Amino acid sequence: MKAEVIEEQKIQNNSEFSLGVDDFFKARQKGVRIWIMKHILYKSNKYILALFFILVILASYFGSILFVIIGKAVDAFSTGHSDLIINYTIIVLLVGLGAPISGLLSRTFREIVAQKIERDTRREFYLNLLGKSQSFHDNQRIGDIMARATNDVRFLNFLISPAIGMLFDAAVNLIVPMYLIIVGYPLELVIIPVVFSVIFIAYLRKFLKKLAPPSLSRRIAFGEMNTVLNESFDGIEIVKSMAQEEQNVEKYKDSAMSYRDAGIEAGDIQAKYLPILLLSLTITLGLTISVFYNKAGVLTVGQVLGFIGLLLRLRFPVNASNRAFMMVQEAIIGAGRLLETMNAKSEIFNNDDPISKKIEGNVTFENVNFSYPGTQNKVLKNINFEVSKGQTIAIVGTTGSGKTTLTKLISRLYDVNNGRILIDGIDIRNYSLQSLRDQIAYIEQDIFIFSDSIFDNISFGRDTSMEQVIAVSQEAQAHEFINDLPEKYDTEVGERGVQLSGGERQRVAIARAFITDPKILILDDSSSAIDSETEERIQEAIFRILHGRTTFIITHRLSQIRWADLIIVLKHGEIVNQGSHEYLLKNSPEYQKIFVKRFDKTLNELLEGEN
Amino acid sequence: MSKMGYFGLGEEGYDRIYKDRELFVRIVKLFKPHRRSMLIVIIFLTLSSITYGLTPLIMRSIIRQLESKSNPYFLIIFIGNAFILNSLGYLFNYVNRRQGNRMVYRLCYNLRRQTNMRVLEQDLSFFDKYPTGRIVSRINSDGQKFGGSVTMFTELITAFLTLFIVIIPLIIISPILTGVFMALVPLVFIFTLSFRKVSRKKSMYGQRSLAQVNAFVQESMAGIQIIKNFRQEKTQFEAFQAINNQSFKVNMSRALFLNILFPSLDLIIAVLYAILVFFGGNFIIQGVLSGADIYLFLQSSLILFQPLLQIAGFWSEFQEGLAAAERIFALQDSQSYIKQGNFVLEEIQGKIEFKNLGFEYVPGKPVFKKFNLVIQPGETVAIVGHTGAGKSSLTKILLRLYEFQSGDVQIDGHSIRDISLREFRQRIGFIPQTPFLWADTIENNITYGALNATRDDVLWALRQSGGTEWVENLDEGLNTFILERGKVLSMGQRQLIVFARVLLQNPSILILDEATASVDPFTEIQIQEAMEHVMEGRTTIVIAHRLTTVRNVDRIIVLDHGMIVEEGNHRELLNKDGYYARLYNTYFKHQSYEFMEEMKSKRMQETS
Repeated sequence: MKAEVIEEQKIQNNSEFSLGVDDFFKARQKGVRIWIMKHILYKSNKYILALFFILVILASYFGSILFVIIGKAVDAFSTGHSDLIINYTIIVLLVGLGAPISGLLSRTFREIVAQKIERDTRREFYLNLLGKSQSFHDNQRIGDIMARATNDVRFLNFLISPAIGMLFDAAVNLIVPMYLIIVGYPLELVIIPVVFSVIFIAYLRKFLKKLAPPSLSRRIAFGEMNTVLNESFDGIEIVKSMAQEEQNVEKYKDSAMSYRDAGIEAGDIQAKYLPILLLSLTITLGLTISVFYNKAGVLTVGQVLGFIGLLLRLRFPVNASNRAFMMVQEAIIGAGRLLETMNAKSEIFNNDDPISKKIEGNVTFENVNFSYPGTQNKVLKNINFEVSKGQTIAIVGTTGSGKTTLTKLISRLYDVNNGRILIDGIDIRNYSLQSLRDQIAYIEQDIFIFSDSIFDNISFGRDTSMEQVIAVSQEAQAHEFINDLPEKYDTEVGERGVQLSGGERQRVAIARAFITDPKILILDDSSSAIDSETEERIQEAIFRILHGRTTFIITHRLSQIRWADLIIVLKHGEIVNQGSHEYLLKNSPEYQKIFVKRFDKTLNELLEGEN
Repeated sequence: MSKMGYFGLGEEGYDRIYKDRELFVRIVKLFKPHRRSMLIVIIFLTLSSITYGLTPLIMRSIIRQLESKSNPYFLIIFIGNAFILNSLGYLFNYVNRRQGNRMVYRLCYNLRRQTNMRVLEQDLSFFDKYPTGRIVSRINSDGQKFGGSVTMFTELITAFLTLFIVIIPLIIISPILTGVFMALVPLVFIFTLSFRKVSRKKSMYGQRSLAQVNAFVQESMAGIQIIKNFRQEKTQFEAFQAINNQSFKVNMSRALFLNILFPSLDLIIAVLYAILVFFGGNFIIQGVLSGADIYLFLQSSLILFQPLLQIAGFWSEFQEGLAAAERIFALQDSQSYIKQGNFVLEEIQGKIEFKNLGFEYVPGKPVFKKFNLVIQPGETVAIVGHTGAGKSSLTKILLRLYEFQSGDVQIDGHSIRDISLREFRQRIGFIPQTPFLWADTIENNITYGALNATRDDVLWALRQSGGTEWVENLDEGLNTFILERGKVLSMGQRQLIVFARVLLQNPSILILDEATASVDPFTEIQIQEAMEHVMEGRTTIVIAHRLTTVRNVDRIIVLDHGMIVEEGNHRELLNKDGYYARLYNTYFKHQSYEFMEEMKSKRMQETS
C-alpha cells in the first residue's frame, strides 16, 4: 500500500527520486496557507503549540493578577493587618515568579516548533529538488534556488518565532485584563479597555498600510546602492582609464538619495505612532474614573491600584513590534516561492513500455524543431544529420546558435517539438530514460568539482579501485598533476580544498568519463583558454576520450574541428553547412576564411594538407 | 608622508589606529552641519524624558489625594495635569524621534556620498588590495551601523535622564526602599552583560551551522547533473539529513538560550516586587508610607526597566558603531598617489619612452629596475612573456593607474607626471582582457567616454569593428539592455562593443590586453579584423596571446622578470631559437598550422 502511494506521488510529481511517502504532497497542491498549516500541525507540533498557547495565557494571567494582589495587600496593610505581611509577600513572590516561568516555558515550546518547521521544510525542499529532472535544473539559476532554500525557509521559522508568538501574546494581553476586570470589578469598567482595543486595532491597520510603501522603497534603494557600487568598483579599471569618475559619483548619489528619502518618510510615519498616546490617555482616564468610584465608595484604594495595573498590561500589545506583521507577510510570500519551485513540473515522461538496451551509438536527427517550453522562439530549425557509431562530430557556431541545445536533446533533457531523434534506429522517446541517461555522458562547459577527494570526484559513487582510477587519470593526462598534489588522489579539492584550474578540471571530468565509458559522449569544450600552458595535454586527453564512442564536441579548437569526422555549422538554430573538413573548405567561403586567416596559408596549401 | 599610506584597512582584527580623541573630534565634526537638528533633538529629548519621568509622580499624587480624602477640587487639577503631561510627553517624543531620524539619515547620506567620491579618486593599487565587496560594505552597511549607534547614543541620554528623574523622588520618599531596589541593579547589569557574551558565541555557532547546510545545498544544485548521472541521490540526501539535523540542534540550543533573557529579568523583578510588599508593607503599617507610594515604586520599576537594559547593552553596541565609523574614516583617508600636473597635451604624436623606470607594487619586490624602452609614433608593439614578467604592469603604469617610484615615462618628450590626468586618459584607449560593460543599453555602452557621440557615430564605430549585422539581429538593436553579467550577449559580442567604444573615443595611443578566453572561430575572425582596424594609425601596445597578433606586429618585446630579453619581429626571434622560441613552444605553437597537423597523426593512431 505504501509502495503504491510512493509511486503515485512520483508520477504526479514527475519526480525522478523520492524516499518514502511524502506527507506534504497533497498540502502543496492545495495552496500556501494550507501547506503552512500542515507544517504547523505536523505530528507532535500541534501538541507542543497547544502547550505554548496555554502557557502564554497563564503567563499573562499571572502578570496581570500581580497588581491586583498587590492592591489587596495595600488595602490590608492600610487597615493594619501586619500579620498578613509575610503571607502577601509569599503570594506576590510566587505569582511574580509564575509569570516569567510560564513565559520561559511558552517560548521554549514555541521555539521547538519553529526550528522543527525550518528543518522539515528544508528537508522537503531539498528532497523535492533532488527529484526534479535535469531540464528543470538547467532552467534554474542556482542563486535563485539558494535564495529560496536559505531565506524563504528561514522566514517560516520566523513566522512562528517570533511573529505568531508575538501576535498571540499581544492578543492575550488585551483579553486577559478584560476578563479580570469583568470578574473583579464593576462590569462597566471593562468598556475602557474594550474601547481602547477597538481604536488600537483600527489604527494599527491604517498605520501598517501607510508604512508599507516607504519600507519597501527603502529596501529596494538599499539594494540599488549595493548594485551601483559593486558595478563601479568591479569596472574601476574602465572608469579610471576613461576618466569617467563623475558619472559614477552621480549614479550613486541618486540611489543614496532615494534611500535617504525613503528612510525619512518611514521615520516620520513611525514617529507618529499614536497608540503610545492612546495608552497613556487610557490609563489616565482609567485612573480618573476609578477615583470617582473610590469617592463613591465602590472601590478601595487597593482596588484602584489593581485596576490601573491591569490597564498597564495594555502596554504589551502597544509595544509589540510592527515587525511581527511584516514577518507574517514575508513568510507567506516566501512559502509561495517555495511552493512554486516544488510544484514545478518537468516535461519529460517515461512512456508506457520503455526499451532498455545497450546502444551502439548511431544517432540521427530527422527534421528536428525545438523551442524551450513556454517560449515561442525557435531555437532549432530543421535539423537533419546522420552519424555512425564511433564518429566524432564537431559542432561549431556562435553563441546562441543552438549548439548546447542540440546536445541536450540527445539525452532527452527536453523533447523535440517536431521531427524525431533516433538512436540505433529507434526513437529516443521509446527508450527508458534511465537506460538512455546511463549510456550518455555529458561533460559540461564549467566543470563542477565536489568538495571531496580527487579519487571521489573521479569515481563518484562507483565502486572502483585506486588502480582503475590511476589508469584512467593517466589516459586523461591528469595523473601527473594529481601526483604533484600534497596528498595525491586523496587531496581534498573543490570549494573548501585545493582549487583546480580549468584545464585540470576538464581532465578530471574526462577521467570520470573514462570510468563511466559511455557509448555517446557530449563534450562542451567551449570555455578553454587560448594560451594555456597545458594545451597539448588537454588536446591529447580529448583525443583519447573520443576513441571508441560517438562523440559530439562543441569546440572552438581548430585542430579538433579539422580532424572531426563530421562538422556541423550552426547559425541561428539552423545547420548552414555540414560535412568533412575538406568538403567545407571547398564549399563554404566563411569556413575557408577561418583557416586562411588564422594560419596565414592559402586555400591550396590547406587543401594539400589534407593529403 | 609615508610611501604607502593605506593604514586602517586591514582584516577584521585590525588595530585601532585612530586615537579615541581623534575619533571623537572627527565624529563631532560630522555633526557640524546638523547643529540645528542636534539642538532640537537634545531639547526635546530632555523635555520628553522629564514629562515621562514625572508621570508616576502625578499618578501618585492623585492616589494620595484619594487616601487623604481631601478636596475633590485638587483631584481634578491633578487629573487635568496628568492628561496634559501625557499629551506633552507624546508631542515631545514625536518631535524628538522625527528630528532624530531625519538627522541620522541625512548624516549617513552625506557620509556615504563623500566616502564614495574619495574612493573613486583612488588609484588602482587601492582596488587591488581591497576586494570590492568589502569596500561596498563599508560605504553602505557601515554607514548604516554608524547611524544606528548615533540613534543609540541619543537613546542612552534619554535613559540616563529618565533614570535620574525617576530615582530622585524615590530616594526622597523612601531611601531604604530605593536602596534595596538599587542593590538589584548591578545584578541586572552583570546578568545582561554575561548573557550577551554567551549569546554572541551561540549565535556564531548557529550561523556557522546554517552556513554549512546552505553550502551543502548549493553544492548539490551546482553538481546536480553529476549526481543524477551517477545516481547518487540517496547518498546525497543522507549526507544532507546529517547536516540539516545538526543545524537544527545547534540553532535550537541558540534560540532556547536567547529566550532566557527577558524571563530572567522578569524573575529579578518578581523578587523586587516581593521585597516591595515586604518592606513596603511594614512601612505602611508604621505609617511611613502609603499605598500611593507603593504605586509609585511599582510604576517606576516598570519605567526603569527599559532604560536599564539600554544602558547595560549600550557599550558593546556603541563600540560596534564606533568601529564602523573608523572603517569609514580609514576609507576616506586613504591617499591616492598618482601625481599629475596641469600640462594639457594638445595633440599626441604617440612617441612613448620609458626611461630607467623603477616600479614595485609592494616595497622590496621590484617589478621594474631601470627599465628602458622607446616606441615610435604609429608603431605596433607586442609584449610577450610568462605570467609575472611585467606585461600588464607596464601598460598600467602608462595608463597612470599606478604610480611608479623612479625614472620617468615620457609622451612626446613630456613627462606623464606633468600631464593633466583627465585629458591624458581620454587620449589613451584601453581594451582590457575581459570586456567590461555597464548594465545599460548597447548604445550607452559604446558612447561611454564620448558622451557627445550621435547614433550615426555609434553605427560607424560598430561597422569598423566587425559590422552591425549582429546588432540588427537583436530584437531591440542598439537599445538592447545588457545585464550585469548577463547572458544576453556572448563574449565575442561584448568584445566587439568594447572595440566600438574605443574607436569612438579615438585615442592616439592604444593599449590592448588580448583576451585569453577562446571564442568560436567565426567571431574570432571578426575580432581579429576589428583589432586590425582599431590598431591602424595609432601607436599600439598589445599584450599578445594570439599567434596571429605576434605574427603581424612591427616589433615584439620579450619580457622576463621586468627586463627585455629579446626584441625583434616574429620571424627573426624564432630563428634566434632562444627565449622567444621556447615561449612560442609553450604558448603559441598550438595555434599553429604545424600543431594542427601534428594532432593528425595522433588521431590517425587512435582510429587505427
